[in-house]
Amino acid sequence: MRRLNPSEPAWCPGCGNYSILPTLDEAIDEVGIDRHRLVLVSGIGQAAKLPHYTKANVFNGLHGRALPPATAIKLANHELEVLITSGDGDMYGEGGNHFIHAIRRNIGVKCFVHNNQVYGLTKGQASPTSDEGMETKIQTHGVMARPLNPLALAIVEGASFVARSCAVTRDHLKEMMMAALKHDEGFVLLDILQHCPSFNRRNTAKWYRDHVKPVGDDHDPTDVHAALDLAMTWGEEIPIGVIYRSDRPSLEGRHPVLQEGTLVSRYEG
Amino acid sequence: MDLNIRIAGEAGQGIQTIGHLLVDACASMGLWVFSTQSYMSRIRGGLNWQDVRIADYQITSGCEEADILVALTDEVLEELAGEVVDGGVVLYDGDEAEGAIAIPFTEIAKEEGSDVMANSVAAGAVFAILGYDPTVLEDYLSHVFEKKGEEVVQVNRRLARRGAEIAGQANIGLNAPDPARAPAHVSDGTETTALSAARSGVKFVASYPMTPSTGVFTWLAGHADDYGIVVEQAEDEIAAINMVCGATFAGVPALTTTSGGGLALMSEGISLAGMHELPVVVMLSQRPGPATGLPTRTAQADLLFALRTGHGEFPRAIFAPGSPEESYDLMRRALETAHRFQTPVIFMTDQYLTDLRMNTAALDDSYAPIDRHVVEDVGEGYRRYEITDSGVSPRALPGGEGFVVLDSDEHDEEGHITENLEIAQEMMDKRMRKIDGMLEEALAPQMYRADDAYSLLVCWGSTFLPCREAVDVLRMRGHSIGMMHFAQLWPLRVEEIREKLGVRERVVFVEGNAWGQLATVLRELCVVGEVEMMTRYDGLPFTAKEIVARVEG
Repeated sequence: MRRLNPSEPAWCPGCGNYSILPTLDEAIDEVGIDRHRLVLVSGIGQAAKLPHYTKANVFNGLHGRALPPATAIKLANHELEVLITSGDGDMYGEGGNHFIHAIRRNIGVKCFVHNNQVYGLTKGQASPTSDEGMETKIQTHGVMARPLNPLALAIVEGASFVARSCAVTRDHLKEMMMAALKHDEGFVLLDILQHCPSFNRRNTAKWYRDHVKPVGDDHDPTDVHAALDLAMTWGEEIPIGVIYRSDRPSLEGRHPVLQEGTLVSRYEG
Repeated sequence: MDLNIRIAGEAGQGIQTIGHLLVDACASMGLWVFSTQSYMSRIRGGLNWQDVRIADYQITSGCEEADILVALTDEVLEELAGEVVDGGVVLYDGDEAEGAIAIPFTEIAKEEGSDVMANSVAAGAVFAILGYDPTVLEDYLSHVFEKKGEEVVQVNRRLARRGAEIAGQANIGLNAPDPARAPAHVSDGTETTALSAARSGVKFVASYPMTPSTGVFTWLAGHADDYGIVVEQAEDEIAAINMVCGATFAGVPALTTTSGGGLALMSEGISLAGMHELPVVVMLSQRPGPATGLPTRTAQADLLFALRTGHGEFPRAIFAPGSPEESYDLMRRALETAHRFQTPVIFMTDQYLTDLRMNTAALDDSYAPIDRHVVEDVGEGYRRYEITDSGVSPRALPGGEGFVVLDSDEHDEEGHITENLEIAQEMMDKRMRKIDGMLEEALAPQMYRADDAYSLLVCWGSTFLPCREAVDVLRMRGHSIGMMHFAQLWPLRVEEIREKLGVRERVVFVEGNAWGQLATVLRELCVVGEVEMMTRYDGLPFTAKEIVARVEG
């Protein structure tokens, strides 16, 4: 496995992140992103540690708060490529409010969410995407809330690009990462289903392998209703692929103050 | 000679419009003006007023009683007529009221086309009672309505004249202050703070609206295109502070504006700025708490909170200007301090100061962006958190050759997460060393008529203004008294403060809170022991008269 940074990842053996990290590195390089112009933004959690194990500028901030600084970084210098590496707890739980409003703005950031349907760093509590009924040491009667549907939410709020892939289907994951990185206008969500060998005994690597199914060529990702149908599909089959795509312009592209260059490049002091 | 005009009515009746007309017209004559606002937390209805105090000498305080009350509703007569001094005048917007000169401002304005112009009638009537040259007001109205065309100008001039004529028929003349040589320029604490931020190069503002901080946020949004500022209304204060962290990381000076409840939500983000070493500036406009408190009133009750907000230990600076002019100076200083030392700075103001209008020297509005203290041309080996003697590490921006890596976890010199406890201690020591430099640059407390004074009033922030006038009055009455004003609340140079305090017969802390928060801070630093407190926490500002009475009482 190719490693760009000498520090040792603090992930459990068998963690899905071990396939996500090198896949991401390959995707970044094959798309041809200049790492000096790349900012990885993360909050807190296992996924949020990823920026420390590769090469890029890094803003590793607070739990749940990846999107606000990412939004501001893009507004201050829209020539930077801003990529968020977050988890389901960080992005859909603690950061849920920011998720809604960043998408409404359609700020041009790439948001990659490692979604393992469980809390890892705090040892096995339910996450916002945990299956209903999943028992944990906290949810002793099983999860009593319905899982959050990030894809449907993102489509409804107006994201430009919504896709899903899975850590166990590496080729597909790389393809989705590259498609996401190439989509250069507006908010990009890539929800990455990921197994957690330590704490999620339901949604295992095998379970994902058995359930995920690539979206067929007949799906038109520009058809919002078809996209919502796919986003609402979860069970025996879980669709992976580009679910939704639109040409809605980004916030930084529409912002009148940013038409004459970035704020940073115009600063005279 | 001084005199207080109170314009009172319901929210939405144009109280501020009349008030501003009088303030600006009086200042244009060289009078000293001092205008404060008292309003309820509602958009329509209620009982609100604006005071316009005018004098032929420099005044820096409001006062409790009114010499002229302009009553726009019956409720005003019921509630506020008792606060009019003997020999004072009440002008009532209507046909008849006992003990008042009834002038139907609104009806007269309607005859000319629109009730919104009732303000000009009222201002004309007040001017007549004061015995001032009506053409000064009319010329000022021409200036205000110039952009709306000649017809609007003439209607307003005519309405002001009619107000003056009817008031003149009452044959009541008040002894009014003569025009003096006060600066004709008038500004309020909102405008001076916001203008200072804009001309100093703030390029990104993210806030969640919260009274009484919203004025600065609104001013910056209104001038965003002129100065090239991106203004974003965040979904909450947590987003706002984290956005400001992101913008400063990317490389532009950034600001967020809030009040106490919003600062509570920002707490973790301020700690992040301390750890990331980002030049974040938070404008905290205080109102009474706890919780939602009194949303539209004033207080100085968040000093201890500003000093402590954010978990863990990190350097910070806190400024609290005493006047609109000092707000202008210190907003720039706050930004410069944040950038020089790469750490969060809290700029404290309050409802009283943001809303008050007074004569000021004309402010320099030329664009003069601050030095961000960034390094360029760093290479591959760049370390964002390089250990240095000053504790300040070279700050590069993302996008260049060197990778800029920030982590909210404890980190090594490169910025990567570490659990090496030796490095952790070195990093903590590095951050803390910045305090030495900050102390060297810290503002000493300002002394006013204090050299030979037996007694000393100690104040901070906006209490400066009423205290200053109280000292002048008390001196005239033979007291040996002076004042010590803190415009920077942290970090503090203890020895110097001790020296300036000196040995006095009496030291009184004048604070707009219940605990005596500055006294608490100075006690913690062993600068003072038990002290005499003069506190006020009913949501209204101190007045000079009140301070004088309490000093003498």
